[in-house]
Amino acid sequence: MSESVISFDGVSKRFRLGATHDSLRDLAGAVLGSIFGRGTKKSCDETFWALRDVGFDVRRGEVLGIIGPNGAGKSTALKLLAGILRPDRGCVRVTGRLAALIEVGAGFHGDLSGRENIFLNGTILGMSRREISSKLDAIVEFAGLEKFLDMPVKRYSSGMYARLGFSIAAHVEPDVLLIDEVLSVGDAVFRLRCIERMQELVRNGTTLVFVTHDLDQMQKVCTRTIVLDEGKIAFEGAPVDAVDRYLSAVSGATAHRPTDDLVACDQKLVTLTDLSVCDASGKRISTVDAGKPSMIEATLELKCRIERLVVEVNVRRALGESVVSLNSGRSDRFYSAAPGRHRIGIHLPSLPLAGGQYFCNVRVWDANRGTTVLDTPYRYPLVVNDGGHATGMFCLAHEWSFCSEPQDKLAIETVIEVSQTTAGEAHESLPVR
Amino acid sequence: MTLSTSIRFSDLSRFQQLLWSLTWRDVRIRYKQSVLGIGWAILLPVSMMLVFTFVFTRALDAKSLLPTSMPYALYAYLGLVPWTFFSASLSGCVNSLVANRNLVTKIYFPREVFPLSSIGAAFVDFLIALGVLCALMAYFHVRGEWHFVAHPTLLFLPVVIGVQVMLTIGLGMLLAMANLFYRDVRQVYGVVIQLLMFVSAVVVPVPSDGSTLARLISLNPLVPIIGAYRDCVVEGQLPDGAPFVYATLLAFVLMTGGWICFRKASYRFAECI
Repeated sequence: MSESVISFDGVSKRFRLGATHDSLRDLAGAVLGSIFGRGTKKSCDETFWALRDVGFDVRRGEVLGIIGPNGAGKSTALKLLAGILRPDRGCVRVTGRLAALIEVGAGFHGDLSGRENIFLNGTILGMSRREISSKLDAIVEFAGLEKFLDMPVKRYSSGMYARLGFSIAAHVEPDVLLIDEVLSVGDAVFRLRCIERMQELVRNGTTLVFVTHDLDQMQKVCTRTIVLDEGKIAFEGAPVDAVDRYLSAVSGATAHRPTDDLVACDQKLVTLTDLSVCDASGKRISTVDAGKPSMIEATLELKCRIERLVVEVNVRRALGESVVSLNSGRSDRFYSAAPGRHRIGIHLPSLPLAGGQYFCNVRVWDANRGTTVLDTPYRYPLVVNDGGHATGMFCLAHEWSFCSEPQDKLAIETVIEVSQTTAGEAHESLPVR
Repeated sequence: MTLSTSIRFSDLSRFQQLLWSLTWRDVRIRYKQSVLGIGWAILLPVSMMLVFTFVFTRALDAKSLLPTSMPYALYAYLGLVPWTFFSASLSGCVNSLVANRNLVTKIYFPREVFPLSSIGAAFVDFLIALGVLCALMAYFHVRGEWHFVAHPTLLFLPVVIGVQVMLTIGLGMLLAMANLFYRDVRQVYGVVIQLLMFVSAVVVPVPSDGSTLARLISLNPLVPIIGAYRDCVVEGQLPDGAPFVYATLLAFVLMTGGWICFRKASYRFAECI
């Protein structure tokens, strides 16, 4: 855990916005234009800095996460690391064998079979043919494609394609592995296995740089995280802290989008001035303990009277999966509200969600008129701490019990069952398969 | 501004493996989903030979133009085999970078493998076609139209092939690179290669009467190279000294220059493709 294997030193990368001449005709036009002073010059000079003076080091065995809103320069940084792009300023240095998984199955050819593509893509990623032969079974087994090994990959489903692509890259065992948000493909089980495989590689000494939008995944895998925003490093440090910085970068970006803002809500008759989370004593808290009582409190400001007001609070995960929706109308609670400020609380004896970052939005209806008077974006963070017990979506109160079943008893009962005795007891205690 | 890529691809063996893999891929996919498969590598030059033999012996009388006594079919085939290797290589090279856009923009390795593997795939066909040449010579020998003699000059053939490969690598790299920046290159190439065939002594001899046209044609390095195949295999003589040395030097200069240009431009490939 000492020497630095990646150094990214004061790197800037610029892209041309306008055309680099795509055809000779364009080139001729541009040349003539510049001779006769008619300006096509503009299009050539406009540039866009994808990265500006970005610097970081990664030490052996570290897992560096790179997160940031779209267009922040994450992929550019990864391509610079991979040597695909060359920086306009600064210096990129990577020590050791490098494998980059920027797109799953980038080297696949549809007409070749899975097996042929393993060899092709494996050599592209830097393995020798002998190495691939020795790992072939492991690759195929990891991808779960034993049956389809001799089928041309053009007939693969996109999930199969992605699994095979990741599986090959995961078996390269490079010194440095670059991964660009490719794990969003494949089903949940496969995603979990990818994470496990990545952790295994890291234990064996691989240094990992990981670009992702999945904050849960990032927090699980990474030892350090960089938040990129508009081509600069906005934050560098612990993954948990990076999440906050990332969210503010993302919501900052979305706040400008008019569609996301309070949509068509009767000239803003109602505004949400605050959404907070309190503990049992009514004190504002930033993190909710999953098992303890808490309260979500919304402060609304009304410009007019609403006879039957319905409030709904929705909770989503960072990736947008809906987790829970609490609606006062469904609890038969309608509120007659006068113009002015109102505090609406949702009392929760416990909040059994798995630890992590969630987002809330608030909707308000005028039930008498049947109109939506407020619908906020999912901008209000809700951070839950489950003490590290749960993965998945929920943190259920539970207890474990363990006891051993005497072997001989089981054997006897199995015999009873086989000899077709109507033994209800035996059936009940037989192991469930 | 420095970038050390030397470590990433230090070992030549990895480059070789990659070149081999991509060549093999190009060969495989060319004949995938076809009934005859690799048989096309035999059938194509043979059918070309039959077409030209028909045109130039039945429709036109080209026999009188030939400076040699060999059967026209053999003359044409000995021109078509190296020519097909040359033109198929270059056609592959022109598109090699653009067709592999996915790899160029997603994975790093020396970009030379793309044109080189195109040449490699064409070389496989070339070797097969040389096998067919043996069969063809045996045929004429048995029919008594022509007598096969195992000339010692056959040993010079690898040198001729080497010169042709150098020339192809040089032109291939330049074409691949140029087509990446300007797609017009592919169109221009299509026209030029057609023209080139008729001034390279492939199916008809080139004029050698000292006219301006003849002098212009003599600048074409393919004329001595293709001529050298016939000299070594059938005529039993070494190719004419001066033109062949000229072709060799030109091929070497083109390969070195083309490779250097390619290297220098290659860091811009991913963003310009």
